[in-house]
Amino acid sequence: MEDIKKIRTVCRSCHGGCGVIAHVKNGKVIKVEGDPDSPISHGSLCTKGLAITQLAYHPDRILYPMKRTGKKWERISWDEALDTIAGKFKEIKAQFGAEAIVIGQGTGRDFESHFSRFGNLLGTPNMITAGHMCYLSRIGATLTTCGRHPAIDYENNPKCIVMWGCNPLWTNPDEYKGADFWQAYKKGAKLIVIDPRKGFLAKRADLWLQVRPGTDAALAMGFHHVIIEEGLYDAEFVAQYIHGWDAFVERVRKDYSLGRVEEITWVKQDLIRKAARLYATTRPAGIHWGVPTEQTINCTDFTRAAVGLMAATGNLDAPGGNVFHQPPGTRSIAEFSSHRSLSNEQRIKQLGGEQYRLASRMTIVTPKCVWDAILTGEPYPVKAGYLVGTNPVISRANATEVYEALSKLDFLVVSDFFLTPTAELADIFLPAGTWLEQNHVADNWKFHGYVLARQKAVEIGECWQDHKIFMELGKRMGQQWWDTVEDALEWLLEPTGLTWEEFKEKGYLHGEPKFYKYREKGFSTPTKKVELYSTILEGWGRDPLPKYTEIPESPISTPDLAEQYPYILNSGLRTPTFFHSANRQVPWLREIRPDPIVEIHPKTAMKHHIRDGDWVWLESPRGRAKERAKLNDGIDPRVIVAEHGWWYPEIKSSDHGWDVSNINMLTDNSHESMDPVMGATNLRVLLCNISRCEEQ
Amino acid sequence: MKKISLIFDKKNCIGCHACEVACKQEHGLGVGPRLVYVIEKSSDFIPVYCHHCAKAPCKDACPVDAISRNEQGIVLIDGDLCIGCRECVEACPFGAMQYEENKEIAIKCDLCVDRLAEDKLPACMSVCPTGCIHFGEKKSIAAVFERTPRPKE
Repeated sequence: MEDIKKIRTVCRSCHGGCGVIAHVKNGKVIKVEGDPDSPISHGSLCTKGLAITQLAYHPDRILYPMKRTGKKWERISWDEALDTIAGKFKEIKAQFGAEAIVIGQGTGRDFESHFSRFGNLLGTPNMITAGHMCYLSRIGATLTTCGRHPAIDYENNPKCIVMWGCNPLWTNPDEYKGADFWQAYKKGAKLIVIDPRKGFLAKRADLWLQVRPGTDAALAMGFHHVIIEEGLYDAEFVAQYIHGWDAFVERVRKDYSLGRVEEITWVKQDLIRKAARLYATTRPAGIHWGVPTEQTINCTDFTRAAVGLMAATGNLDAPGGNVFHQPPGTRSIAEFSSHRSLSNEQRIKQLGGEQYRLASRMTIVTPKCVWDAILTGEPYPVKAGYLVGTNPVISRANATEVYEALSKLDFLVVSDFFLTPTAELADIFLPAGTWLEQNHVADNWKFHGYVLARQKAVEIGECWQDHKIFMELGKRMGQQWWDTVEDALEWLLEPTGLTWEEFKEKGYLHGEPKFYKYREKGFSTPTKKVELYSTILEGWGRDPLPKYTEIPESPISTPDLAEQYPYILNSGLRTPTFFHSANRQVPWLREIRPDPIVEIHPKTAMKHHIRDGDWVWLESPRGRAKERAKLNDGIDPRVIVAEHGWWYPEIKSSDHGWDVSNINMLTDNSHESMDPVMGATNLRVLLCNISRCEEQ
Repeated sequence: MKKISLIFDKKNCIGCHACEVACKQEHGLGVGPRLVYVIEKSSDFIPVYCHHCAKAPCKDACPVDAISRNEQGIVLIDGDLCIGCRECVEACPFGAMQYEENKEIAIKCDLCVDRLAEDKLPACMSVCPTGCIHFGEKKSIAAVFERTPRPKE
């Protein structure tokens, strides 16, 4: 009997970052605990991280590579798997060009560097992620507006926090976890919550603005209206550091009177005024915003208007405001990704690259363009795919189309932990390692100034961490990689002067905080100023000023359709136990949340003879899904809020019930519905109807 | 010896359920018994947990004296003595007493007595992001709430 070894590592059950102590006995992780010394999580750990042992040692987990033979899966060796893939990819590349191979990942899983490097060295410009409507879209919009992503600075005690479409205590926070927000709030910060649902934070807030889903950009312009009208802006900053202020002021005055903003957003004028005043007159004040603001046609415009608020009030790069955290000194993701290796000849072939210019600049493609190419062969055929840690059949808009497109590929490789509905469509399955099975310089892709040592606690079966799979497959394709995963980490760490072993010992690195950096060198934009008037967007022939665009499918845009589908469906209800389509097979988590939940107002329920807990059908012009009703009088009766990510691992047939409770049966991915420069899909505002299921 | 207890500051419970999973992991429990759990009711969260009552109804209800109180005041059940009659489950006014179907015995919060012996916090408390779970001496634990700094609460 061995003693228990305690290994300090970093979770990645969501975007990751929380410190963990893994207890290892006889080569098996028997327990995980929060790491009190973690600068990110301070000892707290959520359900997803705590349940990792049930995921990692789950009886359904696939622990070796497999190939499909007819309708069955057959175990194969890593050599056979990688040789098969390399051979097939080389064949397709020779016949159709590298652009005929799409590589895809899902939400940020800390292998972006390896993913992009593999794609760039392969020569395909067609890389899909979740970034078109999640986080990367915010990085893109902030990059064009102020040069870098300004994350809220909880460490320096904001006196006012605007929590805009975000609940970091529950679910996938990026830079900061809920614990930091909570500390700042407990120290007495004023709290403004912008959320269509009344939840824990809304109830605690000094001001709660119950916004109509998808209208955040209009609300932000309403804030600007008050700030401009009442002269609450930082005149010196505005004069020196904002490009296009006058044109912006004119836009706000002309198009965004508080009356109009109230009409668009359903938020009362006096409440908008109070909130804008509180934010603008409390220093320092920070905005912490979440993906709901990005998952509509207004994706880029909202982020740009929000950066405008930080800038106009002088909170940009001010301690306790929204700051450009200093990088910790490692080599960057961009450098590792070797974007320069992708030739211009290949780059210009990027699907949708001409249309979605910002996505293209962020080196990604909105998935719709890929599905179109697979299904129509236009503008050129896409024949093969390599999907890593992603389950697009469940998690991308218009699931029916996604399923059809992936089924049509000649050759599909999926790397995952389980045979998901997406993996079941593959020809080759690669068994990925969980975060317990990884060595990595974690969090290097975030903007909080930290990198963290995620170190391998165990190896399980024949699983490999995805970083290694990219490397070994890449090498068989003739790409230049390092000998081992750890050699690559040494290269990432080299500028810090630390070896991987030393870094593991240290646990983390933090960039030395520095504020008001623009005073020395301006902002990293073409004009060196905060571009509320964007010269980049102007160059692309787009509106250079932020604005609100009415959602193409809404009671206002399509009143006839709204008669048949009278409710606004927000398909983004989050839970603390699941991360998108993950974790439905984890017993501890499924016990807490056994069924998919849709929240409806009691009045809506009464109208449709629905009781709390009833199964209901949700239906849109594109399809339907079944979820369980939960009554919530804290949402507008016109709004329905549904969970996403549902499939049923317990259904053992290969479809795993992918189309039963999948909210993306209802969502739209038409080009008209997406953000015009980022290709963000609209997951937060569509029309739907609801009815009680006959079978309960 | 001073008597200790567990208490949740309900208004700060955000319903993240981390305490539940930490507890299950610590006690090696599968699906079924939930020694601590959070009920969600619309936008309210109601934690259910053992109060280690000074006059414990579960202890009084047990026909075979399987439930006892240790010198720290922690109410414990001896699984070997339990006959699975569920009288304690019925008696608990909080719904904290649980039943382990596999073993056909009652099971309850032991306030992580083994962790306390190692000077560690109870598992539920160790992971809570809002710090709404407290344990300590019965008489002074209420002071935790009085120290809450936000004036508007």
